[in-house]
Amino acid sequence: MRTLSRRAEAFRPPRFPFGDMTLTLTLRTAFSRARSLVLVGLLPLLTGGWTSGPQSTFETHGPVAKTQLDVFYVTLWVSVILFVLVAAVLAYATLRFRVRSGDLSNQPPPEQSHGNPLIEIGLIVLSIGALVIIAVPTMRAIWYTYDVPEAERANAYEVTATGYQWWFKFEYPQEQIEGSGALVTGNELVIPAGRPVRVNLRTVDVIHSFWVPKLAGKVDMMPNRGNHLWLKADEPGYFWGQCAEFCGESHAVMRFRVIALSEADFAAWLAQQKSPARTVPGTQIGATPAAGTPRVEFASYKYEKQRPNSPGWSEGFDRAPFAAWQQKQQVDAGEKPELIAQGRKLFIEKKCAGCHEVRGHEGAGISGPNLTRIGARTTIAGGLLENTEQNLHRWLTEPNNVKPGNKMWFGGYVVRNSETGAWEEQFSINDDEARSLVAYLHSLK
Amino acid sequence: MQAITKSDFIGKDTAAAEKRPFVFTRPTAKTGLVSWLTTVDHKRVGLLYGVSSLIFFLVGGFEALLIRIQLAVPNNTFLSAQTYNELFTMHATTMIFLAVMPLSAAFFNYIMPLQIGARDVAFPRLNGFAFWVFLAGAIILNVGWFVKSGAPDVGWFGYAPLTSTAYSNQFATDMSTDLWVMGLQILGVSSVVGSLNFIVTIINMRAPGMTMMRLPVFTWMTLITAFLIVLSFPAITIALIALMMDRSFGTSFFEVSNGGLPILWQHLFWIFGHPEVYILILPAMGIISEILPTFSRKPLFGYPIIVFSGAVIGLLGFGVWSHHMFTTGMGTMATAAFSIATMAIAVPTGVKIFNWIGTLWNGQLQMRTPMMFALGFVWMFMMGGFSGIMHSAAPADAQQQDSYFVVAHFHYVLIGGSIFALLAGIHYWFPLIFGRKVSEAWGKFSFWAIFVGFNVTFFPMHFLGLNGMPRRTFTYDGNMGWNSANFIASVGAMILGIGMAVYFVVMLYTYFKGEKVGRDPWGARTLEWSIPNPPPEYNFAVIPTVHARDAFWYEKNHRDEIEREKAKSAAEEESHGGIHMPSQSWFPLLAAMALLTGGLFFTNHNFMGAIAGGVVLFIAVYLWAWEGPGGYHLHLDKDGNPIEPKDGQAHH
Repeated sequence: MRTLSRRAEAFRPPRFPFGDMTLTLTLRTAFSRARSLVLVGLLPLLTGGWTSGPQSTFETHGPVAKTQLDVFYVTLWVSVILFVLVAAVLAYATLRFRVRSGDLSNQPPPEQSHGNPLIEIGLIVLSIGALVIIAVPTMRAIWYTYDVPEAERANAYEVTATGYQWWFKFEYPQEQIEGSGALVTGNELVIPAGRPVRVNLRTVDVIHSFWVPKLAGKVDMMPNRGNHLWLKADEPGYFWGQCAEFCGESHAVMRFRVIALSEADFAAWLAQQKSPARTVPGTQIGATPAAGTPRVEFASYKYEKQRPNSPGWSEGFDRAPFAAWQQKQQVDAGEKPELIAQGRKLFIEKKCAGCHEVRGHEGAGISGPNLTRIGARTTIAGGLLENTEQNLHRWLTEPNNVKPGNKMWFGGYVVRNSETGAWEEQFSINDDEARSLVAYLHSLK
Repeated sequence: MQAITKSDFIGKDTAAAEKRPFVFTRPTAKTGLVSWLTTVDHKRVGLLYGVSSLIFFLVGGFEALLIRIQLAVPNNTFLSAQTYNELFTMHATTMIFLAVMPLSAAFFNYIMPLQIGARDVAFPRLNGFAFWVFLAGAIILNVGWFVKSGAPDVGWFGYAPLTSTAYSNQFATDMSTDLWVMGLQILGVSSVVGSLNFIVTIINMRAPGMTMMRLPVFTWMTLITAFLIVLSFPAITIALIALMMDRSFGTSFFEVSNGGLPILWQHLFWIFGHPEVYILILPAMGIISEILPTFSRKPLFGYPIIVFSGAVIGLLGFGVWSHHMFTTGMGTMATAAFSIATMAIAVPTGVKIFNWIGTLWNGQLQMRTPMMFALGFVWMFMMGGFSGIMHSAAPADAQQQDSYFVVAHFHYVLIGGSIFALLAGIHYWFPLIFGRKVSEAWGKFSFWAIFVGFNVTFFPMHFLGLNGMPRRTFTYDGNMGWNSANFIASVGAMILGIGMAVYFVVMLYTYFKGEKVGRDPWGARTLEWSIPNPPPEYNFAVIPTVHARDAFWYEKNHRDEIEREKAKSAAEEESHGGIHMPSQSWFPLLAAMALLTGGLFFTNHNFMGAIAGGVVLFIAVYLWAWEGPGGYHLHLDKDGNPIEPKDGQAHH
């Protein structure tokens, strides 16, 4: 499998999309030399790697983002050249015609000239010319990026992404499950690599925007409007995405991931996803717990309370995110059936089942993310926290400190008193309960 | 009708004014609080606009510093998400509507009548009203900081349906969005009223010989901006009324559950919002077009082209609004059309840059502080212009939209553009307005601190945006490659803050203790410099006759001819009764206060209070009409000092 080497890709000279445009060869050569000089030599020096990162628009991994980047480079170079020309004249004029002596009142003024129409018209024509250079690739790219090209349409895969305050639901209309409709996941969109994917964009509340910079530019999810975009991942990989339209209190932490799999891996993943939730033997509701009441020491981790807004990512994960995702598909070692059974009961007692669905287990709620395979996802809380025991524990015990204003807290843990309008606690989750819930949720692979 | 015929000032002074009812007694205080509250003098209104907009500029700047502190390091907890959202909403709203627009209006008010050789604007009381209404709107917008619900937090373009009661009222009883709606609505009244006044003034009150093609460019840009305001504000007024109806009376313009269309808000908002961008930048271009010729000792290069390109920008500005909406799924054809229209608007903008450089060419450039800010403007505005061209390519914009790249772009045109020009204007006209000159050393120091701080803050944001950082995010993780750029931007913001602080401290110092200067210290070219500083209440002892563009430059070179002409005009004017001055009035203030209280009641959904405010407004406007335009005549002695009229004689 390919791991994402970000830095190596960052400064690869981009292809200049002048394909069928009539520019002289010499100009192109000069252009290309200047380009490599600046790009390879200066940019990293100037920017110290500011063009590289999980959401870099410079490191494209698909044709849509690539096309958009190419258009950007056309605008960039036309702008840079014009800027250098105009700025040089401006700088020259400023230095050449400045006077150092303070008092000019006794000196004769310069010639009181009023302008030169020929120069003006010449410059206007030149600027129009420069804009045409930008306009041509722009037009071509507008049509290309709008929808899956005709030739590839038959091969296209379709998914529907729906924005919620503040998470994403992903539906697979082509994957129908007997008795429960289309396959549904949340916050991590798994797609086949090398195939165009048409993403239908919907929202249930306010405007959100679907943005995976390395695969495609953003398109908004508008209420009462059926938007879409298309993207294609050239190769399997793990990509960061984020909501790009301000959508309320926790807009900043409304994130998601896209995982592209090879055709075979994708088929296997689909088959796995379509089956009901995994049940660890002996943990069904009503089954006798194997070893009595679960105790704290059963849990494999010690929870440390975090301050609000503390980071939920780790370097180890980021070094090889795709491998981390694959690891996550495996069943955890050392599962504790006692804790899992207890967690499954708590899932009902703590009203989780009212908003979340675990297909095949309890719960058919649709207002929160579908949790049927939550254990196999790399992130929780809308792509915000890495899916570790620590983080899940933190999310379950103090959701409002992780994602302010979220609806698991408001309307779940606390509800509004209809008379006073005040928010009152409906339930809370203590550390022991959280450990059981973590064990149960992580068993859902 | 009676009142109007009585005020007919062409003719002799009335022998003795008849007794008038108490409510129609015109205030006559020339100093003290009452003189400011009832002022109709365009220069005083200009100063009121200037001082209040600078105070709001400092407030908006403080909000920006808090934002940059929060973003200095990843996962910061300096601000909560809610506070951060309120801060960026109010930062933008304050800077656009309460700082840059009214600061431009301050110059329109103070400078424009002087440039066209007028004694006041066409409707002096309406001018006072525009200011007090502005203040009312500004107060309503900011009231949120002091009440439980908090300040508005929906972003400065308030996209529906986030502004609906369902989403902005989710977790608290919330009137912040109502405050935002009402505040903007009332500010719109102020802008439209003020603009109509400027249009009528420029069309009707030019001195003899001041043809349209002899107007100073700043006055031209005032005229174009005023037309933009009058034509674009109706769109946002409609949008805000629809939103107000949705929130207060359960209509469904944008209410999704009842079939409302949030996209409608975006179209209405940006049909206003894009001309608004030019409302913010055209006055700045006007100021620059005054400063560069003065300090080059040369006329503006290509005056007609500068004027027409300003008008073309204004016109095209109405045809590009959807480039703010490239990611809303408009479809290929609309996207392509708006993409090309946006590229087209770069041409007249580029033309202005060429002409400014042409103005410098072969000149005698004096590097005074206003000139430094003006040249800084040209450089920074070019950078903002070029990143604007990058946005016009819709496919590239799909990556840039709502990212920090956009944040960098509009700060380059709004700070590097508008604010630099306005700061240049303050420096430039300070000697005229206060008769004192800012120290060159301190002026240049503040320029360099602002210039460096500004670039260190906003240049890295281009990279943040292209590296995938969305705007309006209260936090970011440390693994995204955004840490160093954000930290540098925050350091830059502190430098910028220090530069601004120096600038304002130096201005305050100069106001009290600065070096006194005589008339026309810069060797300027336009009429406002032909009068003593600070300007007398009546502006021009004799209305000038204009013979050329750059009227004052012509005057300076034809002294004898002008002297003879002035003596003749003065005698003529005296035979018509002397210098006519408008009377002060309480009613503009009263009407604006009615809007303020009514508006506040409405935002609190206290409709009886709102109606009461409306009634007071109606009464105030009615009385305003019935007190008549008023006016009195001044007669000057040899030194230009008014001869005090015998009590009650000269006042109608």
